[in-house]
Amino acid sequence: MTRSEHLRNLLALGVLGLVLALLPPALNVYLRSFALFTMMYVVLALSWNIISGFTGYTSFGHVIFYGIGAYACAILVADHGWHWLPTLLVAAGVAAAVGVALGYPVLRLKGPYFAIAMLGAAEGVRVVATVWDGLTHGGLGISLPSVENSIATYYAMLGLMLITILVAYAVGHSRFGIRLNAIREDEVAAEALGINATAYKLAAFALSAVFPAVAGGIQAYKVLYIDPPSVFFVQITIAMALMSMLGGKGTVIGPIVGAVLLYTAQELTWVNFPTAHLIAYGLFIVIVARFMPRGLVGFAIDRGWARKGMVH
Amino acid sequence: MERSDVRSLYRLAALLACAYALPFAIGGWYGAVHANERWLGYLATVVISGVLQGGVYAMFAVGLTLIFGVMRIINAAHGEMVMMGAYLTWVCFFRLGLDPLLALVLTLPVAFLFGVALQKVVLHAVVGQPELTGLLVTFGLGLVIVYVTELIFTTDFRTIPYAPGTVRLTRTIAVGQSKVISFVIAVAISAGVYLFLKLSRLGKAIRATALNAEVAMVCGIPVRRVYLITTGLAAALAVAGGALVSIQFGFNPETGTVYTLQAFTIIILGGRGHYVGALIGGVMLAVLEGLVSLLVPNGTAMVELAAYTLMIFVLLIRPGGLMGVKDA
Repeated sequence: MTRSEHLRNLLALGVLGLVLALLPPALNVYLRSFALFTMMYVVLALSWNIISGFTGYTSFGHVIFYGIGAYACAILVADHGWHWLPTLLVAAGVAAAVGVALGYPVLRLKGPYFAIAMLGAAEGVRVVATVWDGLTHGGLGISLPSVENSIATYYAMLGLMLITILVAYAVGHSRFGIRLNAIREDEVAAEALGINATAYKLAAFALSAVFPAVAGGIQAYKVLYIDPPSVFFVQITIAMALMSMLGGKGTVIGPIVGAVLLYTAQELTWVNFPTAHLIAYGLFIVIVARFMPRGLVGFAIDRGWARKGMVH
Repeated sequence: MERSDVRSLYRLAALLACAYALPFAIGGWYGAVHANERWLGYLATVVISGVLQGGVYAMFAVGLTLIFGVMRIINAAHGEMVMMGAYLTWVCFFRLGLDPLLALVLTLPVAFLFGVALQKVVLHAVVGQPELTGLLVTFGLGLVIVYVTELIFTTDFRTIPYAPGTVRLTRTIAVGQSKVISFVIAVAISAGVYLFLKLSRLGKAIRATALNAEVAMVCGIPVRRVYLITTGLAAALAVAGGALVSIQFGFNPETGTVYTLQAFTIIILGGRGHYVGALIGGVMLAVLEGLVSLLVPNGTAMVELAAYTLMIFVLLIRPGGLMGVKDA
């Protein structure tokens, strides 16, 4: 990709950021929180994509990091009286540490075994959060001190989203990203070429753990109440995977498009069909995975609507 | 067996020994271990019920291991099919007045056809795709099953009052009648499926496809038909498991998830695609769960944690499991 194309993409991102930054006064409370959660899902899908799209390790328990971030933020704010902004850094640090500690053993597993291990780990962490009364208040959950905060959290999420997009873009176009792709295509061959696959996978995993944790922290401060079933909800993992797949996993634009489309669709069906929307959601998952495993981006490339380099 | 293979088997044995010793250690620490006759009676009861329970777990885990072994698809909706089986049995019991065991004659063919239809419409397209596709497809299917069930039956807990008596073995040891009945049925069905896989032509075709689908195809085995029958069989086993679970425990639409993860743990412990391994894994898991819930404070939540931790450690030490082949 040429320098001018990079500049064009950066400019597009800047314009997007500017528009979203100027938007809040024009929005009512509902739309503002809708925009916030859309941005959150962009963050989640993009970070999941770093380990699972670029590196090919299907993390079926990525909600772990989101939940840990939410808990780190909630515990520090509610029990220790911190201001909420520094807690986001703590959340990021804790998630990166957990990512390394968990990834080091688990990333040795391949294919379906990694996916199952992550699924089990996520359920296990949820049980720990339920049982460990002393730290997490157990099943009662944590209520955060209430203040009007929808503007502050909006801008925090916007900032996080822009950083995540930048990082994902940088990863996607760097040697680091190319090496991750090499690991995805053939790990043995990649190692034979001198790529330290373990270190690269671990770095990708830790990186993909950081952003969901911060998103979880902001979300906790936005919603003001968290409990284990809501922040360690397996469907959040599914949403990350599905959004990436819908847009096109392994690309940068794909998860963004997928997250915006899917979250909007979910919100619309939820508002209009409160009882049937989960059935529709399930069917939608089946249909997307069955008919569009390469996503919209792959669909567009196959039909010659987009060039490969343009969308990555 | 290679040396590294033997070594990992020893390590797995050591892990399992630790896993069984740990509940006793924790129980001893919290003063839940006693040496009197009554407590030993409890312990024996728990172990025996664990074995009985394990037979049922093993039976529905075999369904999961069949699909995984033959098609390399992780069926994340397996527990939901178990739950569906429980509701089918409930309908037969309360609406049609059928005995839950007699109802199997009706529900198993229905489940088989459901599996065949599922394979035709959805899973055929997923075979050979990356694991994420299969996981997402089956997870979506699970959601559909859960919420359709919820729409029809609401989220209330249901129970089927059947054989509520107990079987007294000694003065201190007694197990539920329904557990014994379930175990017997589960063993009968498992033995039937085992003989089918070992002896019949079709069963041999299924095993050949599991070993290597391409070679099986070259040998003239109709692989797609084998897939149809495999999924049908797996769905039937899940529904049978649901029927046997439903006469022992309450259930609601959300209970399926736990069964899915239990079945995962069992097939990983036993070795994926390995029939006898699944049976051993089922019994081992159920006994461990019984010990945890007896000995560890806050036992019911810890049961789940124990199962997931065990699964991850087995994957790390020996991904092939107790009996499995080395391929990961």
